[in-house]
Amino acid sequence: MPVYFLEIIVVALGLVMLMIDAFVKLEDKRSIAWLGMIGLAVVFGLLFAVKWPESTDGVFWQFYESGDSFSLYFKGIAIVATFLVLLMATIYTPIVVAQTARPEKDAHPQSGLGEFFALPMFACAGLMWMASANNLVSIFVSLETVTISFYIMVAYLRRNVGSLEAGVKYLILGALSTAFLVYGFAWLFGITGTMQLDGIKEALTSSDVNVTAALFAFALILVSLAFKVGGAPFHFWIPDVYQGAPTPITAFLSVGSKAAGFLVLLRLISPFLASDALVGKVTVVLGAIAFLTLLIGNLAALPQKNFKRLLAYSSVAHAGFLLMALACTPRASETAAGTSPAQVIAFYLGAYLLMTLLAFLVVTVIRSQMVSEEVDAFRGLAKRSPFLSLALLFAMASLAGIPLTAGFVGKFLVFKLAIEQEQWFLLVVGLIGAAAGFYYYLKIAASMYLATPAKDASTEPLQATMLTKTIMVILMVAIIVAGIAPNVIMGLFS
Amino acid sequence: MESAITLNHFLLVSGILFAIGLAGVLVRRNLIVIFMCLELMLAAANLTLVAFSRFNPVDGQPNYEGHVLLFFIITVAAAEVAVGLAIIVALFRSRETTDVTKINSMKY
Repeated sequence: MPVYFLEIIVVALGLVMLMIDAFVKLEDKRSIAWLGMIGLAVVFGLLFAVKWPESTDGVFWQFYESGDSFSLYFKGIAIVATFLVLLMATIYTPIVVAQTARPEKDAHPQSGLGEFFALPMFACAGLMWMASANNLVSIFVSLETVTISFYIMVAYLRRNVGSLEAGVKYLILGALSTAFLVYGFAWLFGITGTMQLDGIKEALTSSDVNVTAALFAFALILVSLAFKVGGAPFHFWIPDVYQGAPTPITAFLSVGSKAAGFLVLLRLISPFLASDALVGKVTVVLGAIAFLTLLIGNLAALPQKNFKRLLAYSSVAHAGFLLMALACTPRASETAAGTSPAQVIAFYLGAYLLMTLLAFLVVTVIRSQMVSEEVDAFRGLAKRSPFLSLALLFAMASLAGIPLTAGFVGKFLVFKLAIEQEQWFLLVVGLIGAAAGFYYYLKIAASMYLATPAKDASTEPLQATMLTKTIMVILMVAIIVAGIAPNVIMGLFS
Repeated sequence: MESAITLNHFLLVSGILFAIGLAGVLVRRNLIVIFMCLELMLAAANLTLVAFSRFNPVDGQPNYEGHVLLFFIITVAAAEVAVGLAIIVALFRSRETTDVTKINSMKY
């Protein structure tokens, strides 16, 4: 089966889900999400069965990368993230229904729920296509498919002021970053005369490249993508949007849109890094952004009291580590020993997916049964729900980077790159950030296990379905396996 | 006769347009006006693309790859406006304001 069928299947599945929502009378609209999850599981299986065509001469292949295990790996990340987001969305259903269902008597009690399950499918298709985009046009269109779906999803709880505010903020800043991106693309096209990434690389590495104009295009593109991945100083929208958005969508934003942003960043920046005239200046700018992001993300996370806001700053901090890896790209003339930045970023994003989605899955279960997302609400949770606390403990340990977890290997690989490239400033600030991370992640764990709950708190155990628990166990096992034998994940893309 | 208008003139105009749009986004308070300024920035990018296609010809024809991206930008901008205005209307219904300085309920 040709590889581009995967995206077509996902889009078709999303359309079928919308049609079912509109025309089939369902008792419980969560069936739509189950359908989507089964479909995504099948598509994930098909990832291992696709083959690349022998001839890639057609016009279509100018827009689509041919033959690349890297892109399949990122497609896998998109599918797994969407699958888990749909699972969270089913758990989160009561809150969505309370905020969106129509008040009329003859309306379906769950009206307005179907689209909440269908929209992630379209975002997923966009993410998957982005993984294979090798042309400025296809990068732009797939990025916008994802972003526009996200605008709707973030603002989805239309009677909740927080969600609407988050939606508007995301809309304005997302559109601003799009404007920077297209202006940067226009200049890149002007300098190189082509939209193909291969052609751009050729033009930028030639000796007669206009350095000033190329750096201008680079700056515009970097501003835009720093917005998308949450690199300082363009991270300021992240805490508000993460806090206001529905929890499953926050999880999707922090994993899906970050993975997509870094993949595009890798693709678009590699021509600049390959050019001897540009690589020095480009890595200095990347290093400065990584430095700021690490510092701001980690230090601003310290005083947070809302758990989603804490995870928002944590996502900024992780973006800092990823940018640090990118800033440690060796010069083209040097032979790269060991793992390349692209491999480190791919591994880090896989690890980040596992631990962040595990954390958000636990938070969604807690949020759907307790009203609060404040850190105080986690006090003494271990006595009330030992299993959920254990799952959250795994996620926090991995996010903090305790040895034998996936998060540790990710950070270790980044630091190793920094040492190889002798980026001492970045290394120091990275270590400070990791140390701060120990404090604010393990504060949650300590609160769950050591603190006594508030006097008026309920002691009833929190309910989680069998499926949710199974998936939590799978994620916990995956975190440990990736921490002990990172080559299992590395083998998927190299 | 020499053509008086060169690529540089187009780039200058589009740069000014982009700067006006960016300044508007940063300075104005009304969401609708901010949204218009964002469209202005996209228009500036479109003008740059057309200018580069026209002045860097391939085989005597303008480089049509720029036009392809331009049409996609127009389409995407339309989709963005459709979604964006709907969100702004929903916000206006609940808060009765489109002033960005009043949209600040989330603080830590």
